[in-house]
Amino acid sequence: MRILLSWLRDFVEIEESPRELADALTMAGMAVDAVESEAGETVFEFDITSNRPDAMNHFGMAREVAAIYRRPLRAPSTACAESGPPAASMASVAIQDPDACVRYVGRVFTAVEVRPSPDWMRRRLELCGVRSINNLADLTNYVLLEIGQPTHAFDLDRLAGAAIVVRRARHGERLVTLDGEDRDLTEGHLAICDAERPVALAGVMGGQATEITAETRNVLLEAAWFRPSVIRNAARGFKLFTEASHRFERGADWNAAPRAADRIATLLAQTGPGQVLPGQVDCFPRQPKLSPIRLERAHILRHLGIQVDDAEVEEILSALGFEPSPDTSGWSVPAASHRLDVERGIDLIEEVARIHGFANIPATLPLVGAAPEPTPLAAEDARMRSAVRGLGYDETIGFAFISSDEAERFGPGDPVSLRNPLSQLWDVMRNSAVPTMVRALEWNLRRNQPFVRLAEFGRIYQRSGASYDEPSVLTLGASGTARQASWAEPAREVGFYDIKADIAVLLAPFFPDAPDIVTEGVPPYYRDKHAVGLKSDGEVLAWFGELDPKLARERKIRQPVWVAEIFLDKVYGRGLRRPIHGKLAKVPAVSRDFSLLVPNAVDFASITEAVGEMPDLDSVEPVEVFRGKNVPEGSYSLLLRAWWQRLDESLTDEEVNGFAAELRSRLQSRLGITTRT
Amino acid sequence: MSIERKTGRPIGELIREGEDPEQLYGELRAAFERECSAALTPQQGQALRDRWLGRRSGLLSAINDHWLKAAPRELKPVVGKLQNLLRRDLEAAVKAAAEAAARVQVQAEPDLDTTLPGPERGGGAVHPVRLALEEVLDIFRPLGYSVAEGPEIETFFYNFEALNFPADHPSVDEMDTLFLKDGALLRTHTSPCQIRIMESKSPPLRYVVHGKVYRNDTPDATHSPMFHQLEMFAVDESITFGDLKGTLEHFVRCFFGPQTQARFRPSFFPFTEPSAEVDITCPFCSDGACRICKQTGFIEVLGCGMIDPNVLRNAGLDPERYQGFAAGFGLDRFAMLKYNIDDILLMYQGDARFLRQFR
Ligand SMILES: [Zn+2]
Repeated sequence: MRILLSWLRDFVEIEESPRELADALTMAGMAVDAVESEAGETVFEFDITSNRPDAMNHFGMAREVAAIYRRPLRAPSTACAESGPPAASMASVAIQDPDACVRYVGRVFTAVEVRPSPDWMRRRLELCGVRSINNLADLTNYVLLEIGQPTHAFDLDRLAGAAIVVRRARHGERLVTLDGEDRDLTEGHLAICDAERPVALAGVMGGQATEITAETRNVLLEAAWFRPSVIRNAARGFKLFTEASHRFERGADWNAAPRAADRIATLLAQTGPGQVLPGQVDCFPRQPKLSPIRLERAHILRHLGIQVDDAEVEEILSALGFEPSPDTSGWSVPAASHRLDVERGIDLIEEVARIHGFANIPATLPLVGAAPEPTPLAAEDARMRSAVRGLGYDETIGFAFISSDEAERFGPGDPVSLRNPLSQLWDVMRNSAVPTMVRALEWNLRRNQPFVRLAEFGRIYQRSGASYDEPSVLTLGASGTARQASWAEPAREVGFYDIKADIAVLLAPFFPDAPDIVTEGVPPYYRDKHAVGLKSDGEVLAWFGELDPKLARERKIRQPVWVAEIFLDKVYGRGLRRPIHGKLAKVPAVSRDFSLLVPNAVDFASITEAVGEMPDLDSVEPVEVFRGKNVPEGSYSLLLRAWWQRLDESLTDEEVNGFAAELRSRLQSRLGITTRT
Repeated sequence: MSIERKTGRPIGELIREGEDPEQLYGELRAAFERECSAALTPQQGQALRDRWLGRRSGLLSAINDHWLKAAPRELKPVVGKLQNLLRRDLEAAVKAAAEAAARVQVQAEPDLDTTLPGPERGGGAVHPVRLALEEVLDIFRPLGYSVAEGPEIETFFYNFEALNFPADHPSVDEMDTLFLKDGALLRTHTSPCQIRIMESKSPPLRYVVHGKVYRNDTPDATHSPMFHQLEMFAVDESITFGDLKGTLEHFVRCFFGPQTQARFRPSFFPFTEPSAEVDITCPFCSDGACRICKQTGFIEVLGCGMIDPNVLRNAGLDPERYQGFAAGFGLDRFAMLKYNIDDILLMYQGDARFLRQFR
């Protein structure tokens, strides 16, 4: 909103420099975005909040200036000479929907002549960014900028029956508005009608049939108050946003309507030509009742933390156009029609505070009234995040939107769809974070990053009956080399076992025993037989493995991509395990190596299972796995190392030999594994 | 049977007496480990080396002759494998023991180039939004604030109505809401969680709520349809606007630097009354002459106010008894200001080059 310094000066004395004034208004809540100097005139660009329609004009802004500096405010002159027959004898006004149209003031002008406005008026309008049209249109715009009341001028001779009827439109009625659009009206629209048909869409735009033309001689001027919701629905329905609808939907002032009509009459009499007929045709069926507002002195202290002097409270409220009457505990303040945003004591306290100055309220610190509640899962989350960091994954965050096509391929059915998506690629909330991760990997691989490891902590979105679930998922993505290649270590491709080892590190703080590996139910976007799940107590904790190379190729990725999904609610739900210290052995463990020939169908898990529990057996580990040359077909060679240990005494060679023999015999009898010869 | 005797006999005989190759090698390994741990001086290290690895008379050379070379054909692969493993491990251990012993006496290896970089281990990056969040939480936790996140899919009631947005008011349009097909919506701010907490807990309340929020904004350098908001609020019987000022002044000094000053400007939000926007003195220039503060010396960083009595009432609290304040801001913007990030979309591309700056 553009406000001219010289126009403000019509209503209030201003001694301050434009910069000082801008700062003072900004600190009172009227934010000045810019102070410009244009053709010798100072123009303020304001950003006025939507609750303050009263300040979206020069007189309203002058009231703020008057309150800040406690200076007198002069109202614009509305004294004009009237002559001829009473206006009421020339035109009639009737309101059939007094809820939607609270007040309708008509003024009648005769013997007008449509011509350009005087220079001073054109100049002000243009500085405010309004194009000058003709003297009558300019008058309505000028008064809108001056006191904020939208008005409309009809060609009186083209109003059937010289009548205004404010009513709901009837089904099938049409109106060609000033912008040339032929619009269908319905019962939802409030129409300004003459004796026969709609002539304007109330509070939004006038109609072509009754507009002012070069031939216009007699004018009916409208100044009314329409209910904000009615105007808003009409403007939104037609996507027709005008200066008038902007004011009305934020709330105008029904007492400003007659002033605006008189002000236009005054300006018309001044700038001519035209005759102002005596009196207004003021239709105001029932004055809306506004409840008086109670302002308790003690509440000012309670909310602001300071006591403001009674005299200052009264000065501020009076300057803003309220009429406080004091009593023992505070004030009774009638609500003001120009400030419909002020309804409660707290609203008045805000007015006192902003004019008194937020800067004049001393800063204090509240006392802590209660111990803070521990944040659920904070320790679990912190542990997981630091482990992910330590493993070298860079934390990323991706958009939560994916395409419905992606949702179909990556998640379980019926995704959460958006009604007004930003684009078709983002039309559902993700039901899996894998597509997000694949996009991020793709982004990096296209930029020739040889080494990518990303982790995202985020949510996925699912229906849950009539409501929604937003489970937390940790998604890992890796591609390229396992580590940055360096002079000290040769490069190596990242692989399944790297991801598996990382997940083991991440889950270790939560599970005393490693979760089970499962191969059933692995989602189809993983490469067949190159991905697994982890389960504990029947719940899937994670899926991980290689992304289906077909999917990767669709995204122009030509190298293996490894992905893991860890369902954090399930993992965190276990809580951090409490570590329990056991005894440390006093003597070192003893190992034996076994060179085994293993049938291909036997995997490592079967071997450890076949070895099973043995006294003093500490662990068995694979030292070397070899397939191919010199290994008989259908088998592979495994070098297995077993460790034995007794807590407080050494094992003799004979004992260990016995254990080794037992281990060999278990492998032989249970799995048909032979010692390699 | 002593080690010397065993290693002097052909393996075939030993096996006929009931031994097996893995046992034999296992015993040798155990014996070596015992002796190795007892070798502390360079002299002892040298003796260990001579005894086990001596070229002609060492034990390893003995078993090479008596066990490996003399092994029956069918045992050759397994004995060979065990022999190689043992040799490899013994050589490594003897070398390590010798070095350890030598290090006690010699000062440093002269040819170690300490300027060569160590191989990259690369601790992962913390996302800048997370980094900013953790910094903020570290400021508020000692002041007694708990932390919550709340759902991202919200109802019109929690996102607007309960927060005192008048139905049919332009302020609802200004939020550019993304709706779901069934009428639910993606929260446009973290404030709905304020209502949920006030509904379920009793004052005194002190909370930080943070998380993703959504707007129907076309992405560009300063707009993202998804971003992160953080809001803090306190409700008790005697919390004042002065307390709000004091808390936020403390916060911006901690986050932006001790010389930072806050300026409270009256503003409008449906859920607070009085409402204020907070500008801070520009941390990037001292004279109001930089691009970031647009030559004004101030940067607008957050919105705040006293919680509107209607909001308290909507959440089931008695506004005659309780009052409180709330403040909210965009974590992305804070991170952008603090880490000099000029494009919000960098936050959501997952570009490793961008992220690694935050390791
Ligand atoms: Zn600056």
